[in-house]
Amino acid sequence: MDLLFSPADEQYRTRIRAWLSDNAGDLALIAKAEDPLQAARDWQRKMYEAGFVGLTWPKSCGGQEASLTQQVVLSEELAQARIPHLINGIALTTLGPTLIQHGTEQQRQRFLPGILSAKEIWCQGFSEPGAGSDLPSLTTRAVLDGDEFVVNGQKVWTSLAPIADWCFLLARTDPKAPKREGISYLLCDMKTPGVTVRPLRNAGGGFHFSEVFFEDVKIPRDNCVGEINGGWKIARSTLEHERSGLSGVVALEANLERQRQMAAKLKVGDKTALDKPGNRQKLAQYWIEIEGLRHLGYRALSDQLAGRPPGASASVGKLFSSRLRQKIAKTSLELAGPLAPVAKKSPHVIERGRLHAGYFDALGYSIGGGTSEIMHNTIAERILGLPRSTRDD
Amino acid sequence: MDFELSAEQVAMRDVARNMLGERWHPDKMREAIDKPPATIPTDLWAELSQMGWLGVNCDEILGGGGQDILTAAILVEEAGRALLPSTFSTNLASAWAIENSANQAHRDGLLTELVLGNKRVTLAIEENHGSWGPDTIELNATGNDRDDTLHLSGTKLLVPDGSTADLFLVAARHDENLCLVAVDADAQGVTVNAMKRLDGADIVELELNDVAVPASALLQWGGDGESLLREVYSVFTVLIAADLLGSAEVTLQMTSDYAKERVQFGQPIGSFQAVSHRLADILVQVEIGRSLLYGACLALTEQREERHALVAAAKSWLNETAIDATEAGVQLHGGIGYSWELDVHLHLRRARSNAATLGDSDFHRDQIANYYCDRPG
Ligand SMILES: Cc1cc2nc3c(=O)[nH]c(=O)nc-3n(C[C@H](O)[C@H](O)[C@H](O)COP(=O)(O)OP(=O)(O)OC[C@H]3O[C@@H](n4cnc5c(N)ncnc54)[C@H](O)[C@@H]3O)c2cc1C
Repeated sequence: MDLLFSPADEQYRTRIRAWLSDNAGDLALIAKAEDPLQAARDWQRKMYEAGFVGLTWPKSCGGQEASLTQQVVLSEELAQARIPHLINGIALTTLGPTLIQHGTEQQRQRFLPGILSAKEIWCQGFSEPGAGSDLPSLTTRAVLDGDEFVVNGQKVWTSLAPIADWCFLLARTDPKAPKREGISYLLCDMKTPGVTVRPLRNAGGGFHFSEVFFEDVKIPRDNCVGEINGGWKIARSTLEHERSGLSGVVALEANLERQRQMAAKLKVGDKTALDKPGNRQKLAQYWIEIEGLRHLGYRALSDQLAGRPPGASASVGKLFSSRLRQKIAKTSLELAGPLAPVAKKSPHVIERGRLHAGYFDALGYSIGGGTSEIMHNTIAERILGLPRSTRDD
Repeated sequence: MDFELSAEQVAMRDVARNMLGERWHPDKMREAIDKPPATIPTDLWAELSQMGWLGVNCDEILGGGGQDILTAAILVEEAGRALLPSTFSTNLASAWAIENSANQAHRDGLLTELVLGNKRVTLAIEENHGSWGPDTIELNATGNDRDDTLHLSGTKLLVPDGSTADLFLVAARHDENLCLVAVDADAQGVTVNAMKRLDGADIVELELNDVAVPASALLQWGGDGESLLREVYSVFTVLIAADLLGSAEVTLQMTSDYAKERVQFGQPIGSFQAVSHRLADILVQVEIGRSLLYGACLALTEQREERHALVAAAKSWLNETAIDATEAGVQLHGGIGYSWELDVHLHLRRARSNAATLGDSDFHRDQIANYYCDRPG
């Protein structure tokens, strides 16, 4: 047993650090840019041109065919340097691998370069008003008419929709088939007539997700990934394309470190928040849980390296890390004591309102990408082998 | 990068699970709750030695099994599952102490006796101060360099496997420094008073009344007894954490199995989310606990800087995991879960006992707070 990265991986780490320190200046510009979207695209393109995007993809698909451990090293370094997620992150982790596995050669040639360089930004149109956790009950219809699908329906909570150039969506192509066997995986140009995006404000105040309406939207038949009516299996395989979660650990570690430094500065009477025994116990608890998650990640990575299937173990990491993220964010807010509710831009606000944003941000983690309740079901059924709860899915 | 058990470790675990399941029955712990504490009979003890498990973590040159701390932890985890008395953890932690002692005579003679099962050795660390750990130790060892004798006086509590021990490794203060001193059970001035744990395990109070031992009875580590003691405390602690993992995991398994079979309202109770989600939470706790345990064992073996904090993390987390798992075990079995016959309460008793051994969760969080919160910057 060892936790060592190979000399080659460590050399790679050095290379990333050097590149980041030479180029991080550009990143600072994004925050201040007049056109932040363009700046975010430029940043991803720059990362791509330096060979840091699509790391484990085949070379024929524009990737680097790098090892899993290099992928881990890269995501650790990016999180360490607090580099924000790439603008096309959703497509890079889900759609890209789907096209590589199930797409036609033509689809790969057409779409992968734009995903990698962020020339084309993608959104994921899965959830609907009537189909969230029970995704297979979705009702957006796609009817094949000659060489085109005609799509009618509505998607919701679609992240990035207003800025997206393309959408990968699930639509029902056979309403008579059992619900998992009548779904297709389609690629839709967001500029197609009939597509309407209505941004939704989220609980934290931001405009992160939207509603997307489809009204007689025409999608070429060639933009169906895999077989017609075979979309559910394909979508599922990429929902399970989860990473070892080690980059999330580094981010949580940085959160906790910021919390510790803040607590050391916050005055409570003639002491600091960090002197309070209750707070010290909480910080220690989060330290324990982050180490637990890190070592769980190493176990998952070892399984992957040894070619053992990840199975449902990703649900363990997702459930645990979203909860941990929320506990840390909640404590950060509470450490501010009486000043915790002071709004941003108000006099006496703590940390310029960052704590509120972090708190709301954390709340979304146990809903998006499969809720914590669904993670519990998955663990109960697929790891413990318990019988399914009575439901018709 | 390889952070899973090796094929040999998995094989040893399976052998241990079978062997202990055949040769030890949980009824012995159940009976011990009303009778004198449970101990390992001589024939089973000899078998454990023949399997090469006593001192499995010691160097082969010294007669041990040549394995690392993780391997020792795997054995202790199996002992926890099987409800075997705490013999592995005391034997293996003592073996580690002796092997890492600078005292050549101990390494050559004593270790062989321990590995062969001829001598049962245990650790006497905690005293009656309402807390745990090396910092609370007061028992005095007096004597000076010219004098070739040490004199020990004081009382140790909660000494595991004390009624069958031939030798105690006693934590003491000597010239303001902490150290470990080997004291024979039959030395003049030693009194062993039986105690018993909630789970029927054998613990004792050890009274030392001006016990004289030769200075060579001092165990040292690079000439520094204090760091040896702190290291031994961490090794012992991580082994108790492994025992807790064993209790948690086997109870989770028993309870999941029951949830698949027991039918109420026309369906297996495991289909009710109030049941299945509680079990899923326990599974998450167990998986995190196992990960922490591996991390702590590896850090100890590699002598990494954060090793004591990782041991504290594993113990703190697994204390709570084992208690949660065994309490859930009682609840989710319903009436039978509350019965004397079912083994679940035996695991609950063991978990409760081990959780209060070598530091509860608050204690270990305090250790981590001292390590993490007060770092500069
Ligand atoms: C920040 C954020 C970003 C998102 N981005 C996208 C995106 O880009 N694209 C996209 O397609 N979707 C996106 N989503 C939607 C997300 O996938 C869904 O919200 C999620 O799957 C839950 O579906 P729902 O909202 O319909 O809730 P519901 O499924 O209605 O659930 C409501 C509550 O009931 C519980 N529940 C439901 N079924 C069960 C069950 N079987 N057992 C126990 N409890 C149950 C749920 O856990 C939840 O607490 C995003 C969501 C968030 C919060």
